[in-house]
Amino acid sequence: METKKPANRRETEDRRPEGLTSPVEGFNDRARRAVRDEELHDSVELFTNKSVAGRNAVLNALPEAPELRERAYRIKQETMANLDRHLGQMADAVEGRGGNVFFAETGEDVVRYIGDLARRRGAKVITKSKSMATEEIELNRRLEEDYADLDLEIVETDLGEWIAQLAGDTPSHIVGPILHMNRRRITEVLSETAGERLPPDVEALGSFARRRLREKFLAADIGITGANFGVAQTGTIATVTNEGNGRLVTSVPPVHVVVMGIEKLVPRFEDLSVFVRLLARSGTGQKLTVYTNFVTGPRAPGELDGAEEFHLILMDNGRSELLGTPFEEALYCIRCGACLNVCPVYRQTGGHAYGSTYSGPIGAVITPLLKGGKEAKDLPHASSLCGACWEACPVGIPLHDLLLKLRNKQVQEGITGRAQGLAFKGFENTMKNPALYRISGKAGRLAQRPLAKAGAPKTLPGPLGAWTNSRDLPKLAPKPFSQLWKEGI
Amino acid sequence: MADRAEFLQKVRHRTQRGRYKPTNAPDVAWTPKDEPRHSPQVEDPPARFLEELEALGGHGVRVASVDEARDHVLSVVRERGANLLVRWDVEELEALGVDEPLGRAGVGVAVWRDLEDFREVAGKADVGLSTAAWAVAETGTLVLEGGPGMGRSVTLLPPTYVAVVRVDQILRTVPEAIEKYSGGPLPANVCFHTGPSRSGDIEMSLFVGMHGPGDVHVILVG
Repeated sequence: METKKPANRRETEDRRPEGLTSPVEGFNDRARRAVRDEELHDSVELFTNKSVAGRNAVLNALPEAPELRERAYRIKQETMANLDRHLGQMADAVEGRGGNVFFAETGEDVVRYIGDLARRRGAKVITKSKSMATEEIELNRRLEEDYADLDLEIVETDLGEWIAQLAGDTPSHIVGPILHMNRRRITEVLSETAGERLPPDVEALGSFARRRLREKFLAADIGITGANFGVAQTGTIATVTNEGNGRLVTSVPPVHVVVMGIEKLVPRFEDLSVFVRLLARSGTGQKLTVYTNFVTGPRAPGELDGAEEFHLILMDNGRSELLGTPFEEALYCIRCGACLNVCPVYRQTGGHAYGSTYSGPIGAVITPLLKGGKEAKDLPHASSLCGACWEACPVGIPLHDLLLKLRNKQVQEGITGRAQGLAFKGFENTMKNPALYRISGKAGRLAQRPLAKAGAPKTLPGPLGAWTNSRDLPKLAPKPFSQLWKEGI
Repeated sequence: MADRAEFLQKVRHRTQRGRYKPTNAPDVAWTPKDEPRHSPQVEDPPARFLEELEALGGHGVRVASVDEARDHVLSVVRERGANLLVRWDVEELEALGVDEPLGRAGVGVAVWRDLEDFREVAGKADVGLSTAAWAVAETGTLVLEGGPGMGRSVTLLPPTYVAVVRVDQILRTVPEAIEKYSGGPLPANVCFHTGPSRSGDIEMSLFVGMHGPGDVHVILVG
């Protein structure tokens, strides 16, 4: 799953595979490869176990967590119901503070706005704080290609994201971008960048990264961040980072650009008291992220640092399509990653199997919605529907419901083959009719004899194979329950 | 490309598709619903603040007077073998009186005003010194406001960061601190700064002092 970095290229040149626009190669094929990758499995297990344990500990120490969760859900509901008004309010507030606002329908619009801005500023170095929204639209690659004459150096500054960028890799988790890489691989990547063999210990690797990125922070002409939250009432952008890169990217360069999905708004500043507590606890098991940073417009007169030019890009990129539909709740996500950490599918496959910027349960939901169902038709099935994601979600998004609704939508839109529809119809009739049920049970037991050589049959033959390609077929009991009942158990 | 009016019109049109009522996300998955519960009251805010900060790998101390606070700052600077300290240009740090003894000890002091290029100063300094608007006991958090004389870089770029906070500035909880900024106009920057900068991106191993200061000291006065 690793892409080798071509030799003799500029350090930060972004050649990473596609974000949300590429076709998602079958999840099943990727997942099958991933499940066999033991190193990957160990890495994912290490990360998810630690994250889940941390989350549980700090949430248990917060007795009001259930109430907060419900409030978070209601605040998001209220936000989406009046999103146009809140967006207008946000724009007015930012402009009132001397900032600029741009409404971007698509990723293309975002790229053009930032490219033109970089040209006007004569920018050379752009530092970025980790942002899934910019990953989604492949901002780095497109800026480098579409504005090649500017020769921009675009540097990711989150340690994990930077290492991924150097390796020509994409993040595999919303919060832990390189959890799929072990220390050996990270040492290789950073040694190549350093031009010398670095020792494989965290202290040495981290110190090298700090030194190298410090140069970039200080040299940056433009800083780009995403937004964890935007406050409509005040025009404030909240970003949370543990490393401090989010605060550096917004404090040192003369220009700060925010790329924010329109769903990231909350109406009032006090709403943040609900969200910052839930986000840190759910995402990383912390009471509060180290740097919870609130930026409102450009620097004030008399300030020496902070951006003198502030730009807010409000990006739609397919999000508004979900408003007022049965899938609206997918927009309530605050990108904490908790659903990934508890998902039995994600824990086996890791993030890259999902073939999209967003992985895990939330990825399985929003990728098909934002991309269109055809390209990502495997994803709604990349779930055991166990509901662990919904239990873990700090905003209470019923992810398992949404996955079912997506499957339903596929059948209605004819994305799923007719055979599956027929099979389920047959199943329904069988379950409704006791006589038919008994007969099919007998038939099944006869039919499985040749298949069940050792334990459970693994796959079904012929056209039925599609069902068992990604599922194990359970073995039918030798005696049906109805017979056992008759015999007095 | 849409202008603002078109863009918002489209959004409005979609939210008015109506008829659909989102499901209510029930809370049964977390805990049974009964009386709303709240975290226990923070008994002794200064003590709790120091405890939380230490747990995060920061260093906290409570002193009785400004003189003691000054001595503590000087000892941190001495222990770190610092050559240059950069500090906020605020009344309270003038009154702290560290500039003169530092100068005598051969340590340069840069004050955050009239700087030709702040990057030069903040990027070279070994220690950053500031006050805070508030501190939060339950999380060990400093609430830092930006403004003239109060550079963000002072608290970010130097590897050692020292903050001097009066005991009466300590709030109990995060919601109380958020409340302070609700409704009113906000400074261009407010940062809730909680412990040393850190990263866990390499095999979940903790690396302290990733991009911001890894060495954080808070002196509570009073």
